[in-house]
Amino acid sequence: MAIDRRLLLNIDWLLLGTSLTLACIGLALIASATRTRQEPPSVQVVANAPDAATAERATAAQARRTPQWVKQAGWMALGCIAFLVVIAIDYRRLADRAPLLYVAAATMLAGLLLFGHSIAGTRRWLTLGSLQLQPSEPAKLIAALVVARAFAESRKDSLDLRDLIGPGVATAVLALLIALEPDLGTAFCLVPMFFAAAFLGGLRPRALVVLALVLVLGAGGLGWAFAKGYQRRRVVSHVAPYINPDGWLGRQLARYVHIEPRASDHRGAGYQSRQSRIAVGSGGFLGRGYGQGGQSQLGYLPARHTDFIFSVLAEETGFVGVSLTLALYLTLFWRMFETARRARDRLGALLVAGLASMLTFQVIYNIAMVAGLVPVKGLPLPLLSYGGSSTLSAFMAIGLILNVRMRRFAN
Amino acid sequence: MRIYEDIRLAQARVAVLQYAVVVACASLFVVFWYLQVLRGHHYRELADNNQVRQVPIQAPRGPMLDHSGAILVENQASFSLLLRPEDCPNLDATIATLSRLLRISESQIRERIARRGAPFQLVVVKANASPQDVASVVARRLELPQLEVNPVPLRSYPLGTAAAHALGRVGEITERQLGSEEYAGVRSGALVGQAGLEASYNRFLMGHEGVRRVIVNSRGVEVREEKRDAAVDGPQLDLTLDAALQQAMEQAFARRAGCGVALDPRTGAVLALVSRPSFDPNDFSTGIEPTRWARLMADPDTPLINRVIQGQYSPGSLFKIIVATAGLEEGIITPETTLHCGGQITLYGNVFHCHRAQGHGAISLRRALAESCNVYFFQVGVKLAIGRIARYAQKLGLGTPTGFDLPHEMSGLIPDPEWKQRVQGKPWYAGETVSVAIGQGQVTVTPLQMACVAACVANGGRLPKPYFVRAIGGVPQPHAAPQSVGLKPETLAAVRDGMWAVVNEHGSGWRAQIAGHDVCGKTGSAQVVSHERLVRSGGANEQLLPHAWFIGFAPRDNPRVAFAFLVEHGAAGGEAAAPVAQAFLQRFFSADDAAPVARAN
Repeated sequence: MAIDRRLLLNIDWLLLGTSLTLACIGLALIASATRTRQEPPSVQVVANAPDAATAERATAAQARRTPQWVKQAGWMALGCIAFLVVIAIDYRRLADRAPLLYVAAATMLAGLLLFGHSIAGTRRWLTLGSLQLQPSEPAKLIAALVVARAFAESRKDSLDLRDLIGPGVATAVLALLIALEPDLGTAFCLVPMFFAAAFLGGLRPRALVVLALVLVLGAGGLGWAFAKGYQRRRVVSHVAPYINPDGWLGRQLARYVHIEPRASDHRGAGYQSRQSRIAVGSGGFLGRGYGQGGQSQLGYLPARHTDFIFSVLAEETGFVGVSLTLALYLTLFWRMFETARRARDRLGALLVAGLASMLTFQVIYNIAMVAGLVPVKGLPLPLLSYGGSSTLSAFMAIGLILNVRMRRFAN
Repeated sequence: MRIYEDIRLAQARVAVLQYAVVVACASLFVVFWYLQVLRGHHYRELADNNQVRQVPIQAPRGPMLDHSGAILVENQASFSLLLRPEDCPNLDATIATLSRLLRISESQIRERIARRGAPFQLVVVKANASPQDVASVVARRLELPQLEVNPVPLRSYPLGTAAAHALGRVGEITERQLGSEEYAGVRSGALVGQAGLEASYNRFLMGHEGVRRVIVNSRGVEVREEKRDAAVDGPQLDLTLDAALQQAMEQAFARRAGCGVALDPRTGAVLALVSRPSFDPNDFSTGIEPTRWARLMADPDTPLINRVIQGQYSPGSLFKIIVATAGLEEGIITPETTLHCGGQITLYGNVFHCHRAQGHGAISLRRALAESCNVYFFQVGVKLAIGRIARYAQKLGLGTPTGFDLPHEMSGLIPDPEWKQRVQGKPWYAGETVSVAIGQGQVTVTPLQMACVAACVANGGRLPKPYFVRAIGGVPQPHAAPQSVGLKPETLAAVRDGMWAVVNEHGSGWRAQIAGHDVCGKTGSAQVVSHERLVRSGGANEQLLPHAWFIGFAPRDNPRVAFAFLVEHGAAGGEAAAPVAQAFLQRFFSADDAAPVARAN
């Protein structure tokens, strides 16, 4: 399946270049964030070793351990391959296979729930040899494909609420399976995708308002129903920080709404959010210097190389770095939506808009979370955060978008 | 079915999304501008609060050296194990581990945590930890990353209980002290002097605490040091105290309760100071256990009280020195005046007894002092009246603190009509003057005041201001020379003569005699209960027996030591207190003979 040389000429180099720049910034930040470890594991291992020889072997093994930024570079390389594969196949052919892909994704997610190993209390990961993948990440892309195809096929000028039922149910099933893992953050990403596709697909304004209401309330209610005690506590401590969890009101909430009365983490539920905000603010205008961020380097910042990577950026490079990175993201988003606008068919436009909305939502939510504006959700920052699955999925999403763009003149 | 799809609507709607995204990014831009640029300083401060800790470096307190340079108080290297409970994710487990490793009970650790002043303060889990303790916690550094091992200079008193009241003790600063001007700048939890010289010279001894600015990680473990201001050691105190004499005086008391003080009448330099029962200041250096502290406080024998300056005793017959002085100065008597003692005398309608029932007959001042005749001094006292007695007592330093450089000195009491009217609201009865004349009634004095009276008589009428500290950090401290109280030389000669007779001429203090050294003195018995009650008890209850006094100086000509001794419930001064003085003076003179040059300085 050789790629037509003419197609390559139509690749959006700005979009691709921006993405790769962001990924490289991410790599540098991961290197900084994981440079110092709180507790050198080697010491721990050595201390627990039964004898000197074991301790020595353990130390040597520690020394050989691959740094996380190198691993991330490996994931990026894999991402590039996935990217090439994705752009090589015409998106229309992919859309033809959408039902099959959808069944595969749903089966995988269901299988994960039934047979998957629990890691840290969740069943998110599929273990393939030494690799761990999150099936929810490709499932998001497949959902976008399915929804785009469904709306594109309806040849009506405008869509009714009834027209939403089919794709809505399809999306909801995947979202539910992902939410059950539980991975509310990823599940919630499907909402803006669906919304954007329906909107572009021609949803009537009135239906749009109704849908928005239903979605907001429904998602809120569903989210609450599925949320664990600690998650509910996070939300409450965010929207109503003045409620003392140990006070009367706090205890009543704990009783009737099943909020965890007391943080299982001794530092309290607002800890992550507060520490992140301190990291961001203390960066100031110019930042504290690469590798010099106290919040990041001394371990005050939780999940600093994954979900809170943007805090590291803000602390170490300051407002200048934040502005540059935000500008890069904005360029990326703009070009993505531009691609949707210039797509040669409805399928392409809806697919790109869906994917772009999903990525945009994820980025904006993550950055808002880092700034302490919204409750903390386990949502990685596309292209910047450490993580194999999210890197692969980001590269594949960009691949799909470029796929549509470079075929806009072809027939 | 259309052949060409109409994608114009979709294109138009994309623009809506596009601008929504621009707005969202612009909002984030504003938010970060606010957080990083406008509020940057605020968050920088919060970050520093997280990451920077000021760790004080304790300055070693200044040592104290005796007259000849022997160490009285020093610092020893020791290790404290400290914990900040806020840093422990699982405090219960940490306490359990520590309890096991350090062999102290969990409740004890919890008590220490509960006792600390403020949250986030370090708690001393174990002070003066043994090398084994330190090794066992260091080996478990990973289990106990929050535990700090701090080298701490530990206050050490090689003499133990000896001179404990003079040297004092240290302890954690109290809430009250923290609020006071004197301790301004001292941080909570610091060790400060709580008694004796440790307290009165605390400001000097403390030196200046240093501080380390360290960076800690999220688990409270120190990562690196940013800045270090070294501590400045407290300066050395050179004392007038003589460790050998101190030991001699301690031994002279054997196991009896009481107190004694010896000073140089020429300067006021205190050579030895004993108050018994005593305590071991070493116990306080590591932070005394509350139960032990409570026991010391509740002890009926008051071991923490420095009897020399805080014990206010009835002077008994010692007061005859003051009455004799007043009588001579006022011309009521001359050294030759003879009065009659018939064993008792009736004054103001009351009968007053001499301790010798058959009376002393015609008796001179010299013999009246030597034999401590009450009737002689009743008559002198009545003629003097209370006002003049009080004036001379005050002239000799009674009723006011001596100005000694130990803290919490008591003033004693010299009653007079004005005082009685003020405090009791009653007029003075002439009959009370009779009691006062022999040092009974409401008169109280401290042993140090009486030692100063003896010194004043000894040195020709100059009242010394006692002191302990010769030099601070090698800089000699100025001390006012004894000031003349304006007594006639004849008066002093007559009193001195009487005091010589007390010891050397069949007087009440003959047990203090030392051949070759003209010891001068005066005995006294300080009533604890009324004479009648003592007689009723038949002397069976030792707690009702009077305190035995002996004050004096030696030698008579060019005296080099003045002293006061009090043996609690020792009954007669001549029997109980004079031998203690004699034992002390023996050592004083034997040391003196051995090294006459050193003593002269």
